[in-house]
Amino acid sequence: MIQGRFFDARTSAPQPARIDIGADRILRLVAQREVRQAPLEAVGISDRIGEVPRRVTFEDGAMFETPENDAVDAALDIAGHGGFARRLDRWERFWGVALAALGAVALLSWALVRFGVPPLADAVARAMPRSVDVSIGAQGLELLDETLLEPTQLPEPRQAALRGRLRTMTETAGDGHDYRLEFRRGKRVGPNAFALPSGIIVITDELVGLAQRDEEIEAVLAHEVGHVRGRHSLRILLQNAGVAALALAVLGDVGTASSLAAAVPVMLVQAKHSRDFEREADAYSRQWLRGQGLPESHFDDMMCRLAKDDADLAYLSSHPPLEERASC
Amino acid sequence: MTDSSPATAAPAATRTHAFEFRATGGEYFRIWIVNLLLTILTLGIYSAWAKVRRLRYLYGSTSLAGSAFEYHGEPLKILKGRLIAVAVFGAYAFATQLWPKSIFVLLPALILLMPLVVVFSRRFQMRMTSWRGIRFGFHGEYPGAFVAYVVWGIVAVVTLYLLLPLWLYKRVGFLVSNTSLGTERFSFTAWRGRFFGFYYATLGLMTAAFLVLALLGGVFSGAAGSQDGPPSAAAMVGLGTAFVAGVIAVSLVVGAFWERSFTNAAYDGIGLGPHRLTCRIRMGRLLWLYVTNVLGVLLTLGLFYPWALIRRLRYQFECMGVEGAGSLDEFAAAAAPQASATGEAIGESFDLDFGL
Repeated sequence: MIQGRFFDARTSAPQPARIDIGADRILRLVAQREVRQAPLEAVGISDRIGEVPRRVTFEDGAMFETPENDAVDAALDIAGHGGFARRLDRWERFWGVALAALGAVALLSWALVRFGVPPLADAVARAMPRSVDVSIGAQGLELLDETLLEPTQLPEPRQAALRGRLRTMTETAGDGHDYRLEFRRGKRVGPNAFALPSGIIVITDELVGLAQRDEEIEAVLAHEVGHVRGRHSLRILLQNAGVAALALAVLGDVGTASSLAAAVPVMLVQAKHSRDFEREADAYSRQWLRGQGLPESHFDDMMCRLAKDDADLAYLSSHPPLEERASC
Repeated sequence: MTDSSPATAAPAATRTHAFEFRATGGEYFRIWIVNLLLTILTLGIYSAWAKVRRLRYLYGSTSLAGSAFEYHGEPLKILKGRLIAVAVFGAYAFATQLWPKSIFVLLPALILLMPLVVVFSRRFQMRMTSWRGIRFGFHGEYPGAFVAYVVWGIVAVVTLYLLLPLWLYKRVGFLVSNTSLGTERFSFTAWRGRFFGFYYATLGLMTAAFLVLALLGGVFSGAAGSQDGPPSAAAMVGLGTAFVAGVIAVSLVVGAFWERSFTNAAYDGIGLGPHRLTCRIRMGRLLWLYVTNVLGVLLTLGLFYPWALIRRLRYQFECMGVEGAGSLDEFAAAAAPQASATGEAIGESFDLDFGL
């Protein structure tokens, strides 16, 4: 016998009531003003969640509500009415299970982000037509021009000479990218270089000014070519989208306050991947120098000069530590 | 004649029914973490079931006059709705990434769509909620939502936000006065002046706080610099930290003040037949909750969040009650509305929480 209150789905007036679930799987209800009976299959019995009141809902919406969760469970056990929800409730009772779940969540999220997202993003990147790169590249340059960069003040012949150097460097690459060298004044970003998808490479006047030999500029160009060849910006974009989607799926139910917390792993992962890509581009630059029979010291010299010039290390912030990249 | 007929009975004394909230942070945390694990293991599919379990816990832990609220959302429908939402959002994100200019087309479309989203999601939320076996309902339609959300929004912007309180008032009014419990409609009778009052008080508080902050900043940086030459790097860092701390403190105070005033004003104006909702959140308690919750969430890398939410909700319900003559036993169920399947699916996919 389980005591509770009955609501007839017509008014909000409660009626004291009790139910009985027999081994014959028939539920009998005796309320103040009515008596009902129904087979267990024909009523909805809410899953147990903590000590939230349990409800038995009849087909017409009438409802019996009781705080006696244990009695309901016992009756259901006798009638052989179990299910996944019962197991869930048991798990939710124990701190040990909660802590184990916490550890598993941390481990699984890390594994997904580390080993799941990058290959997936790379597969998507491979499937993307080159026209996507071109579109993103053009939009990216427009955005940079609007926000950070200003028109170049480098004399035309100097520009042409450097463009020639990039052309010689990439002619033999045969990677299907349409390389183009753009010059801009960096001002706030100082000596800097950017690689956009589709092969647009931007270097700032300040960087050209900082270099003592053209081979040093070539080392930087080769680094950026490395980014373009690996389609790094597109892959970063896709990986970020993947991690964000994952964070949303996992934490979406948690609430808005934690979206801030969700941003932290996204940022960490992003920094990690971008450092991996920098290493790859550095390696490409060194390899190119070696291939040309040039000393790798051109790369080191340029890196060290960049680091020295840029007190805030703006250029290096998303990059691996300098000691690891170049020997000064 | 006997004196038992309602017409001749002495007017019933005004009664206050308190809300009760029995959820605990620990219990909610355990539900949340098990949900999270199953969601990850099923690559997100379980999230619909997780949502239902989480909301059933929160609704079921909230009771009025001895009866708990009930959430009726169905996981499969929610899953379907979420897939639609993900597709729409994905298309939008993709379009704006590839062609940033397309936002100029998509944004107006979104603004026109927004009232529809409000109507559908509110309708869904209300229909999925019941108390004592009586379902809530929402009867607002697109034109009303368009006026409350878009037209009054434009008025607020055009008047340089001087009339922003009126926009808030219209939005709350639209949501509340179109909501029903069974056959009984809610009414919204809050005083407009109260909305203007707390809006301008918040603006004043914010201005005053930042003026004080700027003044202090000026005094200290002046003091640091005047001793000998430019201030030292350490002094600047200290000053910067103090400034950031000041800004955070001010936003917590202003945020708590705004939330307290808005919630009180909105809920206090809600009526249901002879009953009236009351809400008396106190500034000191709310600010204390804000500060401790923020610290807790930061210090535990977000793990404190379930406790923070439960503490906030518990305090909210502690401050609320239903007051009035007459009994809460006389609400009648409305005929079940005939909703189109597509409408339901759209409502579920846009099941966003607009609150009040």
